[in-house]
Amino acid sequence: MAAEITKTDVDAIYGTVAKTIADALGCELDEVKRDASLIDDLGAESIDFLDLVFRLERAFKVKIPRGKIVEDARGDLPEAEFEQKGVVTEAGIARLRTFLAEVPADRIAAPLKTADIPRLFTAETFAKLVIRAQREQGAA
Amino acid sequence: MALDGDLSGKVAIVTGGSRGIGRAIVELFAAEGADVTFWYQGNAEAAEEVVAAAAAAGQSVRSMQVDVRDSGACRTAAEAVADRAGRIDVLVNNAGVIRDNVLVGLEDEDIRTVLDVNVAGVFNATRAVAPFMISKRAGRIVNLSSVSGAKGGRGQTNYAASKGAIDALTRALAVELAPRKISVNAVAPGVIETEMSETVRELAGDEIKGRILLRRFGQPRDIAHAVWFLSSSLADYVTGQVLYVDGGFKME
Repeated sequence: MAAEITKTDVDAIYGTVAKTIADALGCELDEVKRDASLIDDLGAESIDFLDLVFRLERAFKVKIPRGKIVEDARGDLPEAEFEQKGVVTEAGIARLRTFLAEVPADRIAAPLKTADIPRLFTAETFAKLVIRAQREQGAA
Repeated sequence: MALDGDLSGKVAIVTGGSRGIGRAIVELFAAEGADVTFWYQGNAEAAEEVVAAAAAAGQSVRSMQVDVRDSGACRTAAEAVADRAGRIDVLVNNAGVIRDNVLVGLEDEDIRTVLDVNVAGVFNATRAVAPFMISKRAGRIVNLSSVSGAKGGRGQTNYAASKGAIDALTRALAVELAPRKISVNAVAPGVIETEMSETVRELAGDEIKGRILLRRFGQPRDIAHAVWFLSSSLADYVTGQVLYVDGGFKME
């Protein structure tokens, strides 16, 4: 079990992550609230996520595989138990609530399409993504 | 009103830049003030010559040995350019090879090499460079196609297929990158006087010339001019196009 990511861990890098998000989305830094959905609140599109991850990789000198957030959220749950026909199962939703603890729980509710999972992602989600990448890189 | 095709301060990468058309592109870009890094596969001597000539003229040209078939090498090289120059404004996907033969005489290797360099190479270089352009919300990608892509001749099925793929890729990528203000175009040369076309010109020169409206082969510089246009602000409103620079090439 990976060590928990604490608020202190997130705080340590949050400033750089928020600035990177503002740069990638072309928005003001103060618009990047910790729990704002990058898609629903800040207007991010899928290509913005690719750009954001690319920028984070360069800012933090880490490698972040694409699709990593959903993959890590699913963890050891078999794909068929995580989603069925493009819809996240109850077990999948439970996983997401745990993994994306920074996202207000009421946003993670059935019915949730797999394709809509990225709509949940907040600035803090990406801060945690960076921290996990740093830890994996450090451990490698 | 003067035309502004100046490339001063533009950071460009040209693949396959040590010889032929690529070299002419590198030379023209450098003369127009661009900061040019060209990639070459193996001819270090030719590469050194291009760099030395540019240095003597006070121009900014660097070379890197990069096999475009290696996506990791493309990424490392693109990062090195971006780290040094701060950005990448122009990518010219020029590296290409031919392995001409009639279809039934083609070896597996002839097919694989042509598709790997001419098609996968463009994917690799573009995947390495485009993220920097996406981040800047600006950029120009110019792919070297060929008249063969639309009007392939005998002995060129592998090459024609590879260049047809480039035309298709150019149009699809233009759609994908337009929202990020990156234009993607192709230049399709006809028969140009380079080492690569030497054999075909020797074997069928007169017959081919008879099918060129302007009755001459092209020069590498003819192609460089078109690439320069598409890379400059003169082409701000052009994307998803294949520009034929072939002297008016007719099918037989």
